[in-house]
Amino acid sequence: MSNFEPKLVCFSCKFGWGYLGDEAELTAQIKNWIPIICSGKVDAAHIVDAFKGGADGVLILGCPEGDCHYQDGNFEARKRVYLLRRVLSSYGIEPERVRIVLSTDPEGKQIPNYVREMSEALRRLGPVKRIRLPSRETAGATAKK
Amino acid sequence: MATKPKIAICWLGGCGGCDEAVVDLNEAVLQVADAVEFVLWPVAMDFKYHHVEGMKDKEIALSIINGHVRNCDHEEVARLLRQKSQLILAFGACACFGGTPGLANFTTKEDIFNWVYRDAPTVVNPKGNYPQPKCKVDGKELTLPEFYGQVYALSQIIDVDYYLPGCPPPPDLIASAVNAVLAGKLPPRGSTLAPHKALCDTCERNKTKPPRIALKDIKRIHEVEANPDTCFLAQGILCLGPATRSGCGDVCMKINIPCRGCFGPVEGVKDAGSKFISALASMLDVEDERQVRELVDKLDDLAGYLYRFSAPVSTLVRKRV
Ligand code: SF4
Ligand code: SF4
Repeated sequence: MSNFEPKLVCFSCKFGWGYLGDEAELTAQIKNWIPIICSGKVDAAHIVDAFKGGADGVLILGCPEGDCHYQDGNFEARKRVYLLRRVLSSYGIEPERVRIVLSTDPEGKQIPNYVREMSEALRRLGPVKRIRLPSRETAGATAKK
Repeated sequence: MATKPKIAICWLGGCGGCDEAVVDLNEAVLQVADAVEFVLWPVAMDFKYHHVEGMKDKEIALSIINGHVRNCDHEEVARLLRQKSQLILAFGACACFGGTPGLANFTTKEDIFNWVYRDAPTVVNPKGNYPQPKCKVDGKELTLPEFYGQVYALSQIIDVDYYLPGCPPPPDLIASAVNAVLAGKLPPRGSTLAPHKALCDTCERNKTKPPRIALKDIKRIHEVEANPDTCFLAQGILCLGPATRSGCGDVCMKINIPCRGCFGPVEGVKDAGSKFISALASMLDVEDERQVRELVDKLDDLAGYLYRFSAPVSTLVRKRV
């Protein structure tokens, strides 16, 4: 799997991450970067959808604990991630493919580092195991195995 | 006399509960029986599949199909009925979402076979025989339906026109679905013939639900004596009402059992489990990650709890190995 390039989706809260940085430059540096308003916006369904869409990992960057612009969105996200990781492992998706970091970096210089670091971990883990989703015509054939 | 519309009722991988639910219509089923001509109902009548094979395409007005699809026999019958029917109604949680048998999507075919034919303590299988789709006995070939690698909901195999969820569906919704077909007054194809709202919206206990639920502990229904009038979630007992479609008649609520989700996700939601995760997370009244862990790790098989009836149609479908 040496040439495996993991697909990582990174959500980051605009209040804590990169708001003083050059957004265009950061966008060019970070693939699949989705700045959002509050990490608490990231629903478990978004993460699950990312995996369905072919992601190998999801990284959420939220504000430091106790520092959420909306009271506790970041902690909500952290609880959600904990629950979701348990569910993902039942689907055979390693829990460490979802990571949440609660910290801050107004310049956003750290974002590419976090992305790189997690991508490295994902590279070691390899791609998410794919399943061939049920297709009407071939349901039986794909299922036979 | 105008010919009566032909109706088939058929089970695939079903438990018989859905067929029983039709019988439970009591007098109403006799009225229906007067208005229609049954052409197949394996549980109750002695028609054979080859009778259906001999029919013209679309000759059956409505096929009511319950049960999930897990082997080639189920698939063949589903395809046959699709070919011969104008309308297909996916009846019950198994046909709509895969149902409780769909929990098997969290394990593999290999693990199931190893347990059932080798490892379970009650198994005596000295020769290590596993069922094969084909085998020779006394020079003759015997066949068994091929067991697939996962459970499928009906719509993953054939086009489905309408859905009626529930485990099993309740009599009032069955009667109105059948009457709607007979009267030709049906909503757009693809509709679920049940209310759109979440169960909480119709639940009697909702008025006891505080505006913000703060759970310090999560209990399972058998561990406590639940108050019969208070919202389960407010009592710290998991209830899937917020993420489940209403229409069941609140039957579980009435016998003091929390909602398990047999009506599937509310209208417009694909994956009920991940929706519930977000809701549940915000209910956990904990200070730090350690407390989250203490609370959540007590829940055995969280995925099974959240997708008890719907794993095959969930976004991630099944376990990857
Ligand atoms: S939906 Fe429930 S009652 Fe109907 S076949 Fe499945 S398990 Fe049985
Ligand atoms: S959570 Fe359950 S008990 Fe509470 S209102 Fe909703 S359906 Fe009723």
